[in-house]
Amino acid sequence: MTGSPAAQHQLDLVPDALLAGRAADGDTAAFEALARRHGPLMRATARRLTGSLTDADDVVQETLVQAWKQLDSLRDPAAVKGWLLRIVGSRSIDHLRKRRNHVDLDDVENAVDAGSRPRNKDPENNAVNSSRIEALKTALAKLPEEQRRCWVLKEFNDQSYEEIALTLNISPASVRGRLARARITLARTMEEWR
Amino acid sequence: MTESLEAGDSQPAAAVPAAISTAAATSAALAEELLGVVQSVEGVSAVYPAQPLWQSIAGAALSALTGESPSLITLTDDAGVLAVKTRIAVVTSRPAPTVAREVAQAVRRHLLPRPAAVDVSVVKVGT
Amino acid sequence: MKTTGDTLECGHSLAELSAYLDTGQIDDPAHLDSCPECQAGLASLRHLSELGSDLLRSDVAAAGSGNDDWMQSILDNLRLELRPGRSIPLQSEDAHDTLWETEGSISALIRSVADALPGTAAGKCRLHGDVTTPGAGITVEVDIAVVYGHAMEERAAVLRQELAETLAFHTELAIQTINITVTDVLEPPTPSKEEQP
Repeated sequence: MTGSPAAQHQLDLVPDALLAGRAADGDTAAFEALARRHGPLMRATARRLTGSLTDADDVVQETLVQAWKQLDSLRDPAAVKGWLLRIVGSRSIDHLRKRRNHVDLDDVENAVDAGSRPRNKDPENNAVNSSRIEALKTALAKLPEEQRRCWVLKEFNDQSYEEIALTLNISPASVRGRLARARITLARTMEEWR
Repeated sequence: MTESLEAGDSQPAAAVPAAISTAAATSAALAEELLGVVQSVEGVSAVYPAQPLWQSIAGAALSALTGESPSLITLTDDAGVLAVKTRIAVVTSRPAPTVAREVAQAVRRHLLPRPAAVDVSVVKVGT
Repeated sequence: MKTTGDTLECGHSLAELSAYLDTGQIDDPAHLDSCPECQAGLASLRHLSELGSDLLRSDVAAAGSGNDDWMQSILDNLRLELRPGRSIPLQSEDAHDTLWETEGSISALIRSVADALPGTAAGKCRLHGDVTTPGAGITVEVDIAVVYGHAMEERAAVLRQELAETLAFHTELAIQTINITVTDVLEPPTPSKEEQP
């Protein structure tokens, strides 16, 4: 929580299910409260999936447009967070597919971590941990794209194999295999690093 | 610049549409010029892409991908008449309908003697 | 992990262990407890998963708050597009011109008037009647929430007056009625303790 208490909106205390119901009813304020609440997670996920902060913001915006138009199709309003993240997943993948034809992905990959230097507040522990996180970021960036997508959708979004399969348009068995390969590579790298 | 499209152009009106359709770049320059005209009308606080956001997202090609930012003002040649489309935000201190009319007038006056049909949408009033 | 390929010395594969972590299912569950190879593999995968959670937390923190500018500018863009509503025609001076106000811009204007009044917040807001036909009689319906302690009748009367003036100023609609319904009474903010509504 970094927002100043003064900036807190009244709706910020209302539970997801209620907000989603009101938003489906056409209540834009409720929808915006949901967007503010889950925005950082959506942005973080989109950033890991697309590799750039600018793309991440585009993805978040596209996600919110799509979510607004499809709110009727959300059967369980309490599950709105997972639903939003699934849209973030597919919009991110779409973004990458379209983008691939236009720019060299390597440039994007390299730009990923430039903006997120670990903040050195707490001496020892924090420094050790943030350098481990940095090592994971690097290892993650080196993974084949399909594996990284599976890993991010699983670890960041907690999606099931079936959901990831739908998002990536591959079979659940492929998800299982790619996820395993991603984890094995990452685990080995981190063991070595340790 | 856009010699053949300048407001003071004395070519007969019938010859103008051909000039407009010759180059997309020229039309982009004119759109840019008209953007300035719209923005200078008192009470206009913002100009938004004439094409709604969700339509451009649904569209196959995102302008972000090609690096071209879409013109805020759309120009189309409709049987010799220049159709100008713009979406604006208006401040609360001036009546929105008045501001919309002044925008249309300003655009029309700027384009004279070329015939024009101006479409102005107020999509936001106040902040 | 002492292994060269994906398969451990005990015959199980890391891929199986990876799936086991997600689904809790594996062919030979009894084996897991007794096999040091599998235990080491699982520990390593769990360690990675924890590190993944740390990365997620770090990324979310780096993403900033939903109250920051980046989200505000996204919401500003969306606001125009989410609910443009019907196009309300405005009189033009030249027959070739077509001038409009979007219904969404007027609803937002109505909400901002209600939100600006002390002790009230706008809820739903609807324009009933054919706004696309100039001169057609229009009824405005506004739901508001009033903060506890403010006189509802008085708030509604003040709002009705302000809305009438604002709509006369910014639209050409023939407003016949403005109906204001108080749908909620809000607890005043309690800074000392967090309270669920």
